[in-house]
Amino acid sequence: MADNRIFTAKELSFLRELTRNKVPFMIVGLSAAALQGAPMVTQDVDLWFRNIDHPGIRKALNKLGGTLVEPIALNPPMFAGKNVEYFDIVLTVHGVDSFDKEVKAAVKVPFAGFSVCVLPLERIIASKRFLNREKDRMALPALKTALKTKRANERRPQRH
Amino acid sequence: MQMDTSKLKELCRKQRIRLRDLLNEAKVSRTAYYSLTRKESVLPKSVCRIARRLGVSPIRFLEDPAKSVERIRELQARTDTICRRHPGIDRDVALRTLMNLELPPIERLRKALIRGRQSHIHR
Repeated sequence: MADNRIFTAKELSFLRELTRNKVPFMIVGLSAAALQGAPMVTQDVDLWFRNIDHPGIRKALNKLGGTLVEPIALNPPMFAGKNVEYFDIVLTVHGVDSFDKEVKAAVKVPFAGFSVCVLPLERIIASKRFLNREKDRMALPALKTALKTKRANERRPQRH
Repeated sequence: MQMDTSKLKELCRKQRIRLRDLLNEAKVSRTAYYSLTRKESVLPKSVCRIARRLGVSPIRFLEDPAKSVERIRELQARTDTICRRHPGIDRDVALRTLMNLELPPIERLRKALIRGRQSHIHR
């Protein structure tokens, strides 16, 4: 049975607030692949920010009762607070172009009343290929199949 | 919800089956059939009362399992076409992708997170 407590209105509100505050960000990683239909499993939603110091991030966090945990030594910056615990901060995505280039080709995924930029499946595959860790190699066949399926589905004549 | 015998007879004509044979194959007695055709509603009275109280047709809150089967069959047929075009791809992944594409994006993400968190717990 689906757990309705997962990714509720609070998490959606965080994404809405980031968009409202014009924070340049996009969803990347396996959650981005899932949003595009790939049957993947993931534990977190990776958010790639152009600039973590954007004031809109703090505004969104304040509204949702979350906090930004500053990076220290080898620990990257993180969000703290139960309404933002699903989100991971990404500042660099390996194997793809710069944020500014990638955001231009990003897929706009609609949520309730707003839309969010998502790294296209092709680019997620490129990043996984580049990283080539064991977990990336394991995800690649399903990602490639999902991409082929999605493309074939888009070419299908639509019924009206 | 009443039985529409003319619609049923039309379906029999299209599928080239006599009503008598249909009833035999479906293991429905003629008495039971004629009793159904005379009923004001073939649905249980409690369902009709709920619908009447809400002022809606019972169809609004009844699920037709045949439609779910039809939907799966259609997705399977589309999966077959894709697999023929791309030999070697994983059929299950293609089918699951098509099923996901029918869901709103937020539901696709929820599914991924629910399974991800469950597998983490069981690890």
